[in-house]
Amino acid sequence: MNQIDTAKLETALNLKNKQKFARLPAPLRMFLLDSKGAIGLLMLLAILLMSLSAPLLSDYDPQRRAGGSHEPPSAEHILGTTRMGKDVFTQLVYGGRTSLLVGFTASLLSVAIAIVIGVSAGYFGGVVDELLTFLTNVMLVIPGLPLIIVMASFFDGGASPFVIGVVFAITGWAWSARVLRTQTLTLKNKEFITAAELIGERKWRIVLIQIFPNMLSLTVGGFVLGTIYAILAEAGLEFIGIGDPSAVTWGTMLYWAQSNQAISFGAWWELVPPAVAIMWTGAALTLINFSVDQITNPQLASQKNQSKIRRFLKGASA
Amino acid sequence: MRFLLTRIGFYLSAFWVAITLNFFIPRWMPGDPATHLFVSLRGKMSEEALAAIKVAYGFDGTLWDQYVAYLGKIFTGDFGISTTNFPAPVAETLFYAMGWTLFLVGISISVCFALGMLMGIKAAWGQGKFFDSFFTPFNVMLYAFSQPVIALLLFYGLCYQLEWFPLGRAHPPMVIPGFTWEFISAVAYHAVVPLLTMIIVGIGSWHLGMRNNMINLINQDFITLAQAKGLSERRVVYRYAARNAILPQITSLAMTFGYVLGGAYIVEVMFNYPGLGKFSLAAIQARDYAFIQSQLLLVTACVLVANLISDFANVLLDPRLRYAEAA
Repeated sequence: MNQIDTAKLETALNLKNKQKFARLPAPLRMFLLDSKGAIGLLMLLAILLMSLSAPLLSDYDPQRRAGGSHEPPSAEHILGTTRMGKDVFTQLVYGGRTSLLVGFTASLLSVAIAIVIGVSAGYFGGVVDELLTFLTNVMLVIPGLPLIIVMASFFDGGASPFVIGVVFAITGWAWSARVLRTQTLTLKNKEFITAAELIGERKWRIVLIQIFPNMLSLTVGGFVLGTIYAILAEAGLEFIGIGDPSAVTWGTMLYWAQSNQAISFGAWWELVPPAVAIMWTGAALTLINFSVDQITNPQLASQKNQSKIRRFLKGASA
Repeated sequence: MRFLLTRIGFYLSAFWVAITLNFFIPRWMPGDPATHLFVSLRGKMSEEALAAIKVAYGFDGTLWDQYVAYLGKIFTGDFGISTTNFPAPVAETLFYAMGWTLFLVGISISVCFALGMLMGIKAAWGQGKFFDSFFTPFNVMLYAFSQPVIALLLFYGLCYQLEWFPLGRAHPPMVIPGFTWEFISAVAYHAVVPLLTMIIVGIGSWHLGMRNNMINLINQDFITLAQAKGLSERRVVYRYAARNAILPQITSLAMTFGYVLGGAYIVEVMFNYPGLGKFSLAAIQARDYAFIQSQLLLVTACVLVANLISDFANVLLDPRLRYAEAA
């Protein structure tokens, strides 16, 4: 992965011929002007808003019986009730809180670990680099998911969503760390870093103020990918019954719908809402990731591929 | 040879880290397996029995003694006795389950890799055209729709409502495993929906990876030169661009292997498939530590071997590495 090239970004933006948000920095403009990123962000904000305002949207308690077993959707229960008589809509909005919170915090934690390890490996070099790179490579090849399952299995009554999140963070930082290390290595030899060193800036200040801001969009990219992974994997673990079944999340909703055989009773409303919520969030984050990718690698954004020859011929004839 | 030797050295040390982690995880976690059993029996077990079970699980003596004994057991292939499938040794169940999982994972990964690669090449060569702007986001989104959701939808659609496919298992219990048409067709029939789930979810990352690798290559001079020489587009795409774009993909193939082995858990639980995921889940519920730990070791070993194979493949496919070797 290359260093973000602001000039290339500007060219790509000028190609699009748009002057909107002209005051914002190029990467941010690129993101907002790309329809995929904007749609994804709106979708994500919508589901976030819905989860955050859960107590306003529903008067029921997600953990308590609110009606009869498997009541179909009605004015009283917008999305019906589960087999245990809990309100599905309430579970959906409250479950979103946990699922999204776990996804974001797990990813944030793992990015934080990746930054510390990747940047120190790249910047300090020598023995530090060798040790940290070895650690990173080991974490990369040790299969994460089975390890998570083993770790989660040692908790009584299933792993709580937050235990799952922490375990993800511990096992999932390696890929970002590797990318950030490479990025630090290319930045380290730039003039402005040398200049800062000559002025006598302290090392941690160089790392924090000079190097880190230049890797912001890579970090954001790692964060988005990490969030997708954490949300999906958490749902997956809870679905197969590793998680704590008494917690309310989208994953445990799927788990209960499956183990209560909701569909055999014709109660599709117990299964479809959490499935749609997961798909919606996944789609939103994927769209955002596409835009972030284009910022870290502007070539991906360039419009239709034109071979250099054709471009050259065109230039010659003009 | 030096390159491959350093890689082998690295994998051996990675394996050592993995087995050490595997040793320490249950010892860090609250309560060892023997105490767990003791508590769950609520005093129906004598202190002597507890001590005996601790010995059986390798939880007696100092930490160092335990560690040495543990390493010794691993190298003699003694994985202990599984409590869930008593009295079968862990190794027997493990290899049986591993066979089914590798069958699912092997086929789905190969199909995903091949299809994703072809679609990625097509998308990159026509960057911004319809195929790229539709199928690239679409395939990646299918990944983000997550395996449990896709598995549930396919299960209820194809197996439950339409009744086109069986509701689970690898083959009907009355069909005796063997090299017979009856067995093979039953296995193929039962594997369709689980495989479909894994393929639908898995294709996106290969598509995107290949596409992005290709796009980075397309603007390079050697591609321009190939076009200037008047080579056919087919040749430029496959022999020049794709051949280089595929190298990083082979490395990620080995890395995803571990992830997919983990991902098979969901499909196996959903379709009641007798693979590693199904057995380890049963083992977790029964707190069968011997089985849980051994399956982690086995999966790790598989992933490390897969990585080693990908290193060999890279040396074979990339002349630059080969010449560096010879020099």
